[in-house]
Amino acid sequence: MATTTATITLTSSDISDNAISISNTSTLTKAGTATGLELCTGLRRRTFAATTIKDLVNLYKHDDEITASKAAKVYIKNVGTASDEHVKIGIGNIATGDSLDAEEIGRLYGGDWMFFPYDATLTGGSNHANNGDIYIIPSSSDSVTVEYMVFFE
Amino acid sequence: MATTTATITLTSTDLLTDSLSLSATQSLYKAGTTTGVSQYEMGRITIPSSDTNAILLDATAAGDDKAGKVYIANKNTDAAHYVIIAMNDTVIGRLYSGDWMFIPWSQTDVSADIEIKCPAALSTTCEIEYAFFHEGKTFTGA
Repeated sequence: MATTTATITLTSSDISDNAISISNTSTLTKAGTATGLELCTGLRRRTFAATTIKDLVNLYKHDDEITASKAAKVYIKNVGTASDEHVKIGIGNIATGDSLDAEEIGRLYGGDWMFFPYDATLTGGSNHANNGDIYIIPSSSDSVTVEYMVFFE
Repeated sequence: MATTTATITLTSTDLLTDSLSLSATQSLYKAGTTTGVSQYEMGRITIPSSDTNAILLDATAAGDDKAGKVYIANKNTDAAHYVIIAMNDTVIGRLYSGDWMFIPWSQTDVSADIEIKCPAALSTTCEIEYAFFHEGKTFTGA
């Protein structure tokens, strides 16, 4: 089995009267076990140059790979440097229209990253409204590049 | 303004043929600026087992389309224990014991709460630590 660790360090010396320092390391394991996740997409890098919604992770294309409702994890980073431009990241299927059944999680501005567990629910075919794809919507038609990686079982 | 940073380090020597070593650091800024966020709240809570989602963080109008950041860690120690994290009933994923997550939260509307569930089938409680860095929140009258 593989051993993969994810560590976060959150620090501030001046957001409050006392400094805050949060540090946590998790080992990426299969659901309900101590066995390490052994599969991943590899680190991917894509560039977008329009404000249209796109799939970042399309479960239909991964339907033989990512098992739903397990312990998958996703890392995404906006590698741009523009602090006034962002990409929206959300969960839902886009083929049924403009995020008909989608939920925006948040916005990654230039340099921002996120790391989260991923349910990866695949309900139906490529355009099924309830598929839990990960979508992206750039805020600008300026070129923006994101890097991402999915760890799964 | 405050300076708050978040760093992630992802490492593995045996997931791939070559070692994985990835590190990224971000400063927590207000939306569209390079001004640091200046408000936060954090805590540790016990979630009772239930098949109903509970609101961990309540979306408010003041946070709409802002650059909030949320950290959540599952502090249980039994590998089989997990919490389900959702937003407005859309499941994001399962956070198992020892796992943590860090996401931006743009609170697109007041229904975009961050919800949590410690499944009844676990027959236990779930210990959670969280932190929310933000630009402000709407207060309701007493």
